[in-house]
Amino acid sequence: MSYDVQIKRHGLHALFDLKGAAADVWDWAGGTLPAQPERPNSRTVKGELDLFYIGRNHWILRAPIEQEEALAAALKPVDCRPDISIVLVSDTLTFFTVIGPQAADVMAVASPLDLHPRQFAEDAVTYTEIFGLKALVQCCGGGFEFAVEQSFGNLVVDYLARTTA
Amino acid sequence: MLKIPCPFCGGRNESEFIFGGPVGANRPDPNAVSDAEWVEYLTIVPNPLGPVQEKWWHARGCGEWLTIWRDTRTHDIVEGPDGA
Ligand SMILES: [Zn+2]
Repeated sequence: MSYDVQIKRHGLHALFDLKGAAADVWDWAGGTLPAQPERPNSRTVKGELDLFYIGRNHWILRAPIEQEEALAAALKPVDCRPDISIVLVSDTLTFFTVIGPQAADVMAVASPLDLHPRQFAEDAVTYTEIFGLKALVQCCGGGFEFAVEQSFGNLVVDYLARTTA
Repeated sequence: MLKIPCPFCGGRNESEFIFGGPVGANRPDPNAVSDAEWVEYLTIVPNPLGPVQEKWWHARGCGEWLTIWRDTRTHDIVEGPDGA
């Protein structure tokens, strides 16, 4: 059956993977990062920067690709203090948006996670499965956004086309 | 299908996890046990009829390793991990 949704595959974002004790990460990068997300699997925002709290002592920072160089200069992934890890991972994920009145129906085919607003808050972000693949999922205006490993991008385009055909 | 309680994420579908096997005995000092006991440690895995403690990896989730007690007769999770 067909669904009333708009599906879009997006270009690259600047992405940084941050690991370590929160106090140490914020000591190193607090001037650059959005506020520390309080709840597991939630996000905070500062201007165009999104920070995803996606695992114990584990965050992903996302920004427009144009800011990658400036962020790398600020976060110094190669030279950061030894008890934390900051890795530039912009090339590793490809993002999709599924937007429209039936976005939730398409996501229900793709993922076992309950994405109803009662369970999945506006500021929620988490790793789960999309078509059996590890994927980072969150709400966006009018629907959902998710990311899978870059190398699975074409496969997911095909899955989404078959789901909504 | 199991709904496994992750200490970081809360209850999640079994398909997000990878089974890590039952929790076995602690590694004995090989010089302090008999050959038979050492072979038993290496080769015998817990396989009770009833509650068994198991390791699971939230691989397609937050990446956490956790342990649960699962009853092999009912498939119920009878005790979750600490903090979940
Ligand atoms: Zn988890």
